Amino acid sequence: MFFQQRAGDKVRNPVLQQALQKARPLFVGKRAKGVAALAEDGLDGERLRDACAEIRNRALADLDVWLSLFEERALASGAEVLWARDGEEAAALVVALARQHGVRKVVKSKSMLSEEMHLNAALAAAGIQPVETDLGEYIVQLAGETPSHIIAPAVHKTLGEVEALFAENHGRPQKTRNSADIPEMTREARGVLREHFLSAEMGVSGANFLIAESGTAALVTNEGNGRMVTTLPPLHVVVTGIEKVIPTLEDFATLMRMLPRSATGQSISNYVSLLTGTRRSGEHDGPQKTVFILVDNGRADLLGSDYQDMLRCIRCGACMNHCPVYFSLGGHAYGWVYPGPMGSVLTPLYTGIENAVDLPQATTGCNQCGSVCPVRIPLPKLMHRLRETQVERGLRPLGERLTFKAWGWLARQPRLYRLFSRIAARYLGWLADPAPDGSRGGRRIRIFGLAPGWTVGRDLPVPPGPTFHERYAARKRV
Amino acid sequence: MTCLVDLMRPEVGFAALQLLERVGCTVVVPDGQTCCGQPAASAGQRAIAVALAKKAVAELEGYERVVVPSGSCAEHICNGYPQLLADEPAWAMRAQAVAGATRELSQFLAEHAPDFSPAGDFSGSVTYHDSCKGLRGLGIKQQPRELLARLPGLKLEEMPECEECCGFGGAFSVKYGEVSTRIVDRKCESIASVGADVVAGGDLGCLLNIEGRLRRRGDETTRVLHFAEILAGEVAK
Repeated sequence: MFFQQRAGDKVRNPVLQQALQKARPLFVGKRAKGVAALAEDGLDGERLRDACAEIRNRALADLDVWLSLFEERALASGAEVLWARDGEEAAALVVALARQHGVRKVVKSKSMLSEEMHLNAALAAAGIQPVETDLGEYIVQLAGETPSHIIAPAVHKTLGEVEALFAENHGRPQKTRNSADIPEMTREARGVLREHFLSAEMGVSGANFLIAESGTAALVTNEGNGRMVTTLPPLHVVVTGIEKVIPTLEDFATLMRMLPRSATGQSISNYVSLLTGTRRSGEHDGPQKTVFILVDNGRADLLGSDYQDMLRCIRCGACMNHCPVYFSLGGHAYGWVYPGPMGSVLTPLYTGIENAVDLPQATTGCNQCGSVCPVRIPLPKLMHRLRETQVERGLRPLGERLTFKAWGWLARQPRLYRLFSRIAARYLGWLADPAPDGSRGGRRIRIFGLAPGWTVGRDLPVPPGPTFHERYAARKRV
Repeated sequence: MTCLVDLMRPEVGFAALQLLERVGCTVVVPDGQTCCGQPAASAGQRAIAVALAKKAVAELEGYERVVVPSGSCAEHICNGYPQLLADEPAWAMRAQAVAGATRELSQFLAEHAPDFSPAGDFSGSVTYHDSCKGLRGLGIKQQPRELLARLPGLKLEEMPECEECCGFGGAFSVKYGEVSTRIVDRKCESIASVGADVVAGGDLGCLLNIEGRLRRRGDETTRVLHFAEILAGEVAK
């Protein structure tokens, strides 16, 4: 992971910055409105958050029980259930299914887990064409990129970039487009995707939740493509993480009051599909075969650990939408499937703490994420716990370790500490730029060698000289 | 007294003393006090943070009230100490007691002296930046605004996104200088959009960050002040 370097590139990329600048207030404003509107239904947002957290906790407390109930009910409804230990195994299962059924093309919708599995690459390697059908994912796939946001995968792209991609891939001359043309561009993509829906032999989707009592996959979407993917091809494969199970349909109803509001500010999304079993006799649509692949990929290890709270996540994206760091960089800077605060916790946990040392540090600790999380995941606390683990495992750079050691010692020697601050105050004064008349004693430091990161973009105000404690001691003596 | 106030802006400390004395408090700044340990705790250096928490608890527990002119240091004492010392029952109780006695300055003034009238003769417009730890950790929002609004001649102008992080985040601003600069740029734009004479706040870290960026961007006129400095009337206009 080279988060730091990537972060610099992203901050200096004006096109990306333009795209992010535009998106952020929309997300924040819509969520605020959506949550405020709960009052119109006589609901208290804070109590609803408690209820949602409680539902997720209940599911996680007896995850094995709910999963086996889910399996039992899914089998009874005519679906198949497979289990995968990790992403590789899950991808191999999907490829095997595709081969078994002579599949040449797969249409996909709504699955971040398939990113964890590198499913598109695995399918392509097996000579099977994967086609993303969520508009954002479709754009990202055309660009040969990965999603940069879990619900708005192409949020990092500007309208101009999308137009250029469409022109190139849809075989037409490039046009000058503005936001009024977005519906037309959407229609254009839809025309292309329609062919794929009709010709694909297999649909792969994720699920927002698995409902144990009925063996149902719940799918929450806005574009309608999810319905095509899950009902048109003869074979439907659902890949989800094992933590997505919830006990009852009623739980789903409660969570649905929070999920779309947190994500897009909508009181309900355009499409909510509850998919149970396969096409029954006499029915006109639906897959002939449904397979659930339930993937662990590191999740079970979090059960009973300091990080279990993270498994409550319902993938709404609110934490990243409110994160000042995310919206300065976009999601690609985070280097793995999940970006933003939830990614800063999940990535080290799923890929190994030593492989993502930067991420838990990539936060200002402002807790805007924690204050909006619909299931009350204490994100800053989890990132902080990861920092502690890094320290315990000796993963922090030597310089940092020595600095804290020295500081910790010094702060326990008050007299020396005072002396140190007195010297520091004079030293900083000495570093100051000359005053306008050329004399020493200016007001700011423009280059500070001890913390160059600070003066990259900021002056360091200069301390006035004697410290508070010096002056206070002098005052007491008078 | 917080490290940053001690080193970077002693005036804030004296302004706080003056305000506390004016509402009838006897104020003591303990001789032995140093860093509260928040930077170590935040960096995950638990052992150091625990040692410094114990040191501070031992120093502060003799006092009726502990008042801190910083939302983030106060937050660390109130929320951080009890967590850091939770595994040692005797210390946990002492930490709880100190936490219970600790208030950020505006919190304390609002609670202890609801009729407090500031002495300043400030005239001009002030926009208030809510620091993250104070706001989301201690629920400080109205207190400093209400106190400032009592100054005749002072006009509060709310900036957009006043609750947004300024990008300081302690070591974050040094480690990820460029990202932090990008974040504080947004704050500077918010400030510029209301055109206030002064940006006020309750945390010196944020204030140094905002001031540093404003100056680097070429804004030499917008003043960046701790609310205590304004309330104490020691700000020459």
